[in-house]
Amino acid sequence: MGPELVQGLRYLAAGLCMGLGAVGPAVGEGIIGGKAIESMARQPEMTNILLRNMIIADAIAETTGIYSLLVAIMILFVV
Amino acid sequence: MFERVGKDLVLRFPLGPITVALNPATLGASLGISLLLLALALWLRREIPADPEAPPSRRLALLIALVDFVENQILGGTSEKLRRSLLPLIATLFLFILACNLSSILPIPGMVAPTQDLNVTLGLALLVYSLTHVYGMRTKGVFRHLKGYLEPIPVMLPMNLVGDMGRTLSHGFRLFGNILGGAIMGAVTIPVLTDLLVRFLGPMLATLALPVLGTAASLVLNAFFGVFAGTIQALVFTLLAAAYIQGAAD
Repeated sequence: MGPELVQGLRYLAAGLCMGLGAVGPAVGEGIIGGKAIESMARQPEMTNILLRNMIIADAIAETTGIYSLLVAIMILFVV
Repeated sequence: MFERVGKDLVLRFPLGPITVALNPATLGASLGISLLLLALALWLRREIPADPEAPPSRRLALLIALVDFVENQILGGTSEKLRRSLLPLIATLFLFILACNLSSILPIPGMVAPTQDLNVTLGLALLVYSLTHVYGMRTKGVFRHLKGYLEPIPVMLPMNLVGDMGRTLSHGFRLFGNILGGAIMGAVTIPVLTDLLVRFLGPMLATLALPVLGTAASLVLNAFFGVFAGTIQALVFTLLAAAYIQGAAD
């Protein structure tokens, strides 16, 4: 394999890694946000607690997306 | 002494048996931000009146609002007893990370947000991790705290240790990844926009359209990735820190 092909495959791998890795967190955060707003509409007096727990849950759901970002950066610049 | 690692200039020097590597840009920016926060704190501190019944001035109202926000929003999930002792730590962490994240929108050449450096965020995460042990041992005693690793059954010990490691790593990586991702988006957008404009409008129209569209794109990117994501991530880091310490102290 020539070096250009390797470089091209590397860009492809980084793009696939980031694109596929973003799907899971996106769906998860959407479910969390939707459910949280549903609960807020039902019980507006709970908004403060719900918002705090929503942000924590969002952050945890986002972790795998951050991992795929790191892997993509490593594929592009480190390996 | 100075070496290039990637695009960064790194200062390396031996200290006893180990070689220490420092990133001067990160170090300078975080020290500057710390000094700025210190100055802000001293400036606000002078406003506290001797008489607690006196009506608050505008700056004192800002201070009260800040402490109230940290106490009721970030520390709202912690127990009453822990809240008082965690308040200074969590407020400091929040202000430092917020100022670091917001510093990425400053148009200073060579300025990078300190939280864009993994060493800073992982250091903060390790600080929070060691504090979970301090608070756990202080409230439950050394023996009961260490016994918590053998629960629910002693076979779970490796799982609990790996869980601790993954939690701390993801705590640091989350802040780093978010801020670095925003910085990469900011760095990539303008060249891509230039390329697209030249390709579709031709070089003549592109030189006319680029200042307007480039400014608009930078504004939107800085507002979203710098201000919005920076604030949310500072909030997330401190909320999780409070949750971890509360979890260890129960």
